[in-house]
Amino acid sequence: MPDLIKNLPSEIKKNKLKTSIFIGLSAYWGIILIGTLLSIN
Amino acid sequence: MDVFLPIAEVSVNVLAIFSLSGIVGILSGLFGVGGGFLMTPFLIFLGVPPTYAVANEANNILATSVSGSTTHYLKDTLDYKMGFMIVIGGAVGTLIGIWTFTYFKGIGKIDIVISLAYMYILAIIGTAMLVEGLGEIDKARKKITTKKKLHVHYWIHGLPLRMRFQKSKLYESAFTPIIIGLIVGFIAAIMGIGGAFILVPAMIYIIGMPTKLIPGTSLFVTIFVSIIVTFLHAFNYGSIDLILVFMLVTGSIIGVQCGQKLGESVDSTGLKTLLAVLLLVVGIAIAYDTFFAEHTVQEITKIDKNDLNPLSMFIKRISVEVPILYGLFSIVFAVILGVAAAFIRRFFSNLRKKYFKKIT
Repeated sequence: MPDLIKNLPSEIKKNKLKTSIFIGLSAYWGIILIGTLLSIN
Repeated sequence: MDVFLPIAEVSVNVLAIFSLSGIVGILSGLFGVGGGFLMTPFLIFLGVPPTYAVANEANNILATSVSGSTTHYLKDTLDYKMGFMIVIGGAVGTLIGIWTFTYFKGIGKIDIVISLAYMYILAIIGTAMLVEGLGEIDKARKKITTKKKLHVHYWIHGLPLRMRFQKSKLYESAFTPIIIGLIVGFIAAIMGIGGAFILVPAMIYIIGMPTKLIPGTSLFVTIFVSIIVTFLHAFNYGSIDLILVFMLVTGSIIGVQCGQKLGESVDSTGLKTLLAVLLLVVGIAIAYDTFFAEHTVQEITKIDKNDLNPLSMFIKRISVEVPILYGLFSIVFAVILGVAAAFIRRFFSNLRKKYFKKIT
């Protein structure tokens, strides 16, 4: 795991598509979770 | 060209409904999914209130599942015993689902509940499909083959009341299909979907049924679940609009046939990723509509009963005066359309075989 964190920038460079999909999905889930919390309150 | 829906009391574009149900039908035929989780949000975007979108899509699913199930019945690729066990759970789940629907409708929160449910379901399926699709593309590129376990054991397999399912060659607890049916029925009642996207993976990975029996059995279960959902929605809320159902059924049945033909000639691995992206886009559109879009109060124009055409007047009258008969009629109507579509397909298939025989 620490190795993975150390090598993270190079991993990101190598897998640009996977990184962008991961960021996109995280943003998507973030929006719907925050939106749900706000609409419930 | 707009048409006024007498029950939903909104005007919709006929061409938009036909083309969207056709496109969803093509996707259904191509990927073997029901399509309800796409069509209901589309109906909501077209201006049909969520309560009506859910009920009418359930009636549409009934017609398409009857059509598909008839084909599987003719091929004998159906496990009735397993199907009935799932239906028992499905019936209980549907009743709980309708009760939940009534509760949220009563406190005026049903529209937000439906929107949130869709958002999460689309997000979960979209994410899972995207990860799986990308993984498959990655494996194909690197030429990696993985050996999968034949059957994984979960706590659900240790339940009592074990029985033999001859057709599927399984010895399993009756509670396994009943619990799966319960979850599917509950979701179907609230969201107006068939539930195949839960049922099919559950049949493969949890029950462990043979692959050739899965589509037929899943469609068989969907028939009963959507009958209960349609009837309860028609009886409790009078929300089935036969004009909308007719447009939906016609579009989706034609689309499903085209999708199935298309599926025979194209590789669906790459397309699966595209479908995942489409699901996520629809999910984000619902999220935008629910959380950020400014909701303007729609001006309701009260239409005088005498302004409706005779067919609309008749539909409106029987839905109010005899809701049980209307509910039963909407079920029979969908079943007839579904069976007719299956036989028309068979007729054309035989015609093609005959024609090709003559050529050879």
